[in-house]
This record gives sequence, C-alpha cells and structure tokens, in this order.
Amino acid sequence: MKSKIRTVAMLAVVLLALILLTAVGGNYYAHLLALVFTNVILATSLRLSLMCGQLNIGHSAFMSVGAYTSALLAKNLGVPFELALLSGAALAMIVGVAMGYPSLRLRGVYFAMVTVAFVEAIRLIVQIWVSLTRGMSGLSGIPKPSLLGMVLVTKTDQCYLALGLMVVTLLILYKLEYSRLGLIWKSIGMADNLALSLGVNVAAYKLLAFALGCFFAGVAGAFYAHFVRFLFPPTFDFLMATNILVYNYVGGRGHFWGPIVGAAFLSWLPEIFRGSEATRQYETIFFSITMLLTILFLPGGLITLPGKLTGLCWRRAEGGSSPSSTAVLPGQRVAMHGNPDG
Amino acid sequence: MPLLEAQNLTKYFGGLAAVNRVDLAVEEGEIVGLIGPNGAGKTTCFNLLSGFLPPTVGTINFHGQPLTGLKPHHIVARGLVRTFQHTTLFQDMTVLQNVLMGLHLHSQRGLGQVLCSRRSFPQHEIDRCYEVLAFTGLVELADQLAKSLPHGHQRTLGIAMALAVRPQLLMLDEPVTGMNLDESLRVMQLVQTIRDRGTTIVLVEHNMKAVMGTCERVIVLNFGQKLAEGTPAEVSSNPDVIAAYLGTGVTHA
Repeated sequence: MKSKIRTVAMLAVVLLALILLTAVGGNYYAHLLALVFTNVILATSLRLSLMCGQLNIGHSAFMSVGAYTSALLAKNLGVPFELALLSGAALAMIVGVAMGYPSLRLRGVYFAMVTVAFVEAIRLIVQIWVSLTRGMSGLSGIPKPSLLGMVLVTKTDQCYLALGLMVVTLLILYKLEYSRLGLIWKSIGMADNLALSLGVNVAAYKLLAFALGCFFAGVAGAFYAHFVRFLFPPTFDFLMATNILVYNYVGGRGHFWGPIVGAAFLSWLPEIFRGSEATRQYETIFFSITMLLTILFLPGGLITLPGKLTGLCWRRAEGGSSPSSTAVLPGQRVAMHGNPDG
Repeated sequence: MPLLEAQNLTKYFGGLAAVNRVDLAVEEGEIVGLIGPNGAGKTTCFNLLSGFLPPTVGTINFHGQPLTGLKPHHIVARGLVRTFQHTTLFQDMTVLQNVLMGLHLHSQRGLGQVLCSRRSFPQHEIDRCYEVLAFTGLVELADQLAKSLPHGHQRTLGIAMALAVRPQLLMLDEPVTGMNLDESLRVMQLVQTIRDRGTTIVLVEHNMKAVMGTCERVIVLNFGQKLAEGTPAEVSSNPDVIAAYLGTGVTHA
C-alpha cells in the first residue's frame, strides 16, 4: 500500500513537471515533448506484441495508416479531429487484423520478417496511390488538431493534447497489462503450448494484442499527422519501426515502464546532436552505441539500472565478507527479478 | 460408455508409425497407466488425445462425442486436460499467477470488464487458486517465482495448474520423473486423492514402482502398438511385456 502511494506521488510529480515544462518551455520544448509523447505511445503499444513473444518490426506501418487516414479525412472531408483520430486508429486496427490474422501463426524470426514486409507494403501503397496521398510530393495542408470545435493553434496547446493522449493510452495499457489479459499475453510469450493446454485460445489472444497495438499506433500516427502537418511516405519506414523496437529493448522489455523510459530517453537525447549539420551525423552513431551498451551491460534495459545501482551500493556498504551481506544479496536478487513480467 | 475411447489411433511421422492402430478406452473414475519402453509412442499418444497432434487415422471420443479435429483449447474446454513431460511452467510468473492461468476457462472477463473493474482479479478467483494450492501443498510458496522452486515442487505446480481447470480427465505425462522416492510417493498419493475427488486419470510413467502401486489398469505400448493391457499384476507377469523391457534373448535362452 505504501509503495502504491509512493508510485502515485512520483507519477504526479512527473506529470506536473511535464505540464510545467510545456507551459514555460516555449515552442521548442513543446514540439520536442509532443514528439516524445508520441514515441511513448508507439513504444508502449508495441509492447503488447512483444509480451506475446512476437517480434514486430513493422509498427510504423500502422502508424502510417493512422496518420494518412486521419489527415485525409480531416483535410478532404472536413471531419473533426477527434473523429478523424479515432477513424485513423480504427483503420490501423482493421489493417492490423487483416495482416496479423494470417501471419501471427508464424513464430520468432519468421514473424519478424513478415512484419518488415508490412512496412514496405504500406509505404509503397501510400507512395504509389498519388491521387489520394500525393505520393512522394508529400501531403501538406493538414488541419491543426482541435478539441470540441476549438482549434489548438499553439504548439503548447497541442503538446497538452499529446500529453493527454499519452496518459489515456498508458492508463488503458497499464490496466490491460495487470489484468487477466496481460497475464495471458505474458503466458503466451513464456510458453505458448502450456497456455494452449490450459485452454487459452492462443491465436485469438495474440491477434487481440496485435490489434490493440495497431490501434494505439494509429492514435500516435493521427496525432503526428495533425501536429507536424506534413506527411511523407518515407517517414514511416523500416528505420522508424526499428526505433520503436529499440525503445522497448533499451528501456527494458520486462516491465511496463521500460518502453516509456526507453522512448523518453532515446527521443530526447539525440536533440543534443541536432544543433548543427556538422553534429547531426553523429545522431545515428549515438543511437547505436546506446543500444549496444544497454544490451551488453543492462540486458534488462535502463529500467533495471536503479536496482543494479542499489545492489552495488549494498554490496559496498556491507563489505564482502560479513555474513549479513550474504544474507542481503539473495534478497536483492529476488527483489530485482521480483517483477512477474516476461 | 467409456469416458475416453480411441479407436484405430494411428500417427505416421513420414514413413514411421509412431502410434499404430491403438485402441484404448478409459472408464470414468479409473487410474490408467500408459507404459512402455522409450520411443514406444506414449507421449505421441498423449499429443493425439489432447489435440496437439492430429492423428493420421483413427477416432477419439470423449463422453461419446468426437474430439478428432478439435483444437487443443477446445478439447480442454470439454474437460480433458494434459500436463507435459518436461517441467513446463510459466517460469517468470509467481506460483499464484501460474495457477490463475489454469482458471482461464472459468473466467469470463472480456476486454470491457477488464477495463472497467477496479481489481485485477476477482476475489473468488484468488480464493479458488489458494484452494488448489492448499490441496497440492504449495500454499506457502504462492508468491515465489515458479523458476525458483525446487524440481519436485515445480512438477506439483504443473499438476496444480491443470487441476485449476477442473478437468474430468487428467492426463499426466511422467509426473514423478526426476523425483526422489519421498517426493514421488507424495505425488502418487496426490494423484489418488485427485481421483477420489472424481477426476479420471491417465498417466505415462517410467517409474514402475509408482505405476504398479497406483494404477488400477495398465496399457503397455511397444513400437507404437498395444502390447498388453490389464491389472499391474497381470501385465508385469506377461511374457511379451517382460520381453519388451528386458529383450527377447532372455526369454528364449
């Protein structure tokens, strides 16, 4: 109970800090934060598939579907933002079900290869369907997001919207993860045959996880479209899909907060290199180095870093030889692996 | 009418008949042992009966209704549950969560209810899990991670998970393998108690002492075919069975 209160308090502080930063940071921070929030939605929505043990390197395809659907509905038909966003997300989910149904029975690397094809297929469709999407000329003139008829003009307001979308998404996904559904998804990731032997319709639950993931990718895409207001097919390419995956791995796959930490960390830090054209080329190198370092030294992701550090401190404070230190260490280990996630 | 009845059950892997024209019937309330030398087709038999493998030829009836062609999770829903030969648990879950997974079929909560309810799991499901854990003697370990349990407890947990499904027929694949005498005695006692509570049991086992002490009827497989069937005493004195286990040279010498 006490730890629950502490978590809630910590979250409130983080939320307040984000609101403050948006309010006082000006356009630059508002823009950056909104993109960070979008990336958090993307990374967390990918986690649903990862929990089921399905390596999905095609998440940007569904973001693209959401983005283009919402943008075209709002631009060509004047559909209000809320409805356009939901339609974009819904279509992303439908496309996800259509693509996931035949391919989700594949496992491991084979499924991953098919998801790479998703990205290319969607990108090519968008690129070739010039009459609708303007292809490689890019789709511009997308209306700004609006809420209940009020257009959100400033970047700051739009950033609040992104924050709201992220919080709602995270609440839903958190609830799902710690429910029966989350347990089933993790069980499929751990031992699918055993889950099957307990009566779990493995194929259906995998599809549900995948479809929900696509829905929230569509939400992120739709917001992105109305925020950046320019869509270009190569934006949603394989590199973006791998980035979403990397957020999960660097942040930590084993825990709900992993992808959030990963997305926040990795979409923020490269900003340092964006200052000039000269330093910009180092961005990818930085990204790769971070990924390698994490895999080598923190296989559980950044999320395990505090636990590891406290573990080290304990060891140092207790000294190597006293009997109490040996009594503490196994306890530490249990605490570190104590979360029940895959 | 037998609870489970298989006729002419055959499975080919390429040209090899892993299970070849096996007929078997299990009556309600029995404990039946399926034995045979390594490679006799016992586990394949299990996989066929539980729907994990489709038979090449043959029919399987449960409660008089055909099971052939059904998916494993549908067969589980009818009341036929199996465990696995190798210790298979959700290693990174706690013992309680493992048993909660067994309750899956009895929990009708869908997406909407999951999102709207305050608790992650309803209290009656947690209570039911503790009941199963108490019955199998794992209740003190409820919050431990499955992978941290000793081998014997892991195997028992596998049985506990299957029990949570409330099966009518429980198929145990080598439940006491790798256990010491004390542990295996305890598990066999548990198996008998499960039967006494009304669950029919089929088990595959290499530990002859366990099989002969517990089973009322034994079916012997060899090279995919049924070699003998009868009470433990009958089977263990059957010359064909002795030949299969010890080699023909002994009987003809």
